[in-house]
Amino acid sequence: MLRKTLMVGALVTALAGAAVAGAQRYALQVKGLACPFCAYGIEKQLKKLDAVDAVRIDIGQGHVVVTAREGDSLSEAQLKQAVEDAGFTLSGIEELGDQD
Amino acid sequence: MPRVIIVLSLLLAAARAWAAPVTFNTALPVAKGNWVWREQLVARGRDDDTAFPDREARVLALSSVLGYGLSERFTLFGVLPYFGEKELRLSTGDGRITRGTAGPGDATLLVRYTAFQWNGQGRTLRVAPLAGVIAPTGDDGDRDRLGRLPRPLQPGAGSWGGLAGVVATYQTLGWQVDGQLAYRRQGTNEGFRPSTESHLDLSFQYRLLPRELGGGVPGFLYGVIESNLVHTDSDRLNGADLADTGGTQWFLTPGLQYVTRRWVLEAAVQLPVQQNMHAGALRDNYIAHVGFRVNF
Repeated sequence: MLRKTLMVGALVTALAGAAVAGAQRYALQVKGLACPFCAYGIEKQLKKLDAVDAVRIDIGQGHVVVTAREGDSLSEAQLKQAVEDAGFTLSGIEELGDQD
Repeated sequence: MPRVIIVLSLLLAAARAWAAPVTFNTALPVAKGNWVWREQLVARGRDDDTAFPDREARVLALSSVLGYGLSERFTLFGVLPYFGEKELRLSTGDGRITRGTAGPGDATLLVRYTAFQWNGQGRTLRVAPLAGVIAPTGDDGDRDRLGRLPRPLQPGAGSWGGLAGVVATYQTLGWQVDGQLAYRRQGTNEGFRPSTESHLDLSFQYRLLPRELGGGVPGFLYGVIESNLVHTDSDRLNGADLADTGGTQWFLTPGLQYVTRRWVLEAAVQLPVQQNMHAGALRDNYIAHVGFRVNF
């Protein structure tokens, strides 16, 4: 019984990992980002996009990593507009694919 | 008189929403479609340094602000001060008396436009003119047991007014500098026109913690020091200056701010360094500010 439970658990974990690994991710380089309160403005603009699942910001480096929903993708124009609506400048974008 | 300075200080402090000056504005943006809610409690103490009538004025006000990002460059602010206490104590032939009132003050609608912006890696420069309209929503006919209160003690001016200015901000991850020029003028009501105010303000904020930035978005603790140069004309009644009002003041304002992604806590106190007031005008002892802001 214990072995069966462990096997099911391992399978669920593997599937969850595969789901995360399958999501498209984008690394944005943002100029003008210099305080925590401003970071929330960018996060909120990006999360307004239906295809966005998660946003992670590294304020010290000006990096923003956007994870799309499973099966969705984002265009550069969408990401650029969201950053500009927050009052900042998108200076670079890199598709990270589905890698962690 | 108690009314001057605090009006424009409350209004100008309203339109900031970041690591920013405590006593005036900033040029940093409110993201399009974002809201900022802000409350600031301001306590002010003044006196006239005379043996008679030995006036003391106290004001305790809560400034409520709602800001909205109309676009990446236009931000709209609504400001409503509430005076919890606005009173004057003075000596008379019948002894020492206290006169005062409480209630909402005049509401302001303020628009700020980011006319210039430059964004670099971990830094930004902005210049933003601002303009606003002050509506006479506060009472200007409050009374106490001695009759109608003097006009400067009323919560509202009873007239429409306007304010205009320009603010510049240079912000980095480690520090920030802001400078502002601003001017407020009020209309005349029943022969009374409150003093006009002109401000020249500078602010420097330095990140104290964290000393080094790791990943993510940590909360920042800033030390703040500001300089506020304020000139107020005299109040005018029936076309004539009221002698015991107006003057020029210079304040230094130390403070602290703790800034996170969603909220800000702040406290600062304006301390007078130099006060060249017109004869008989009240002189400030302190103006204390405590408040919070929420980003949503």
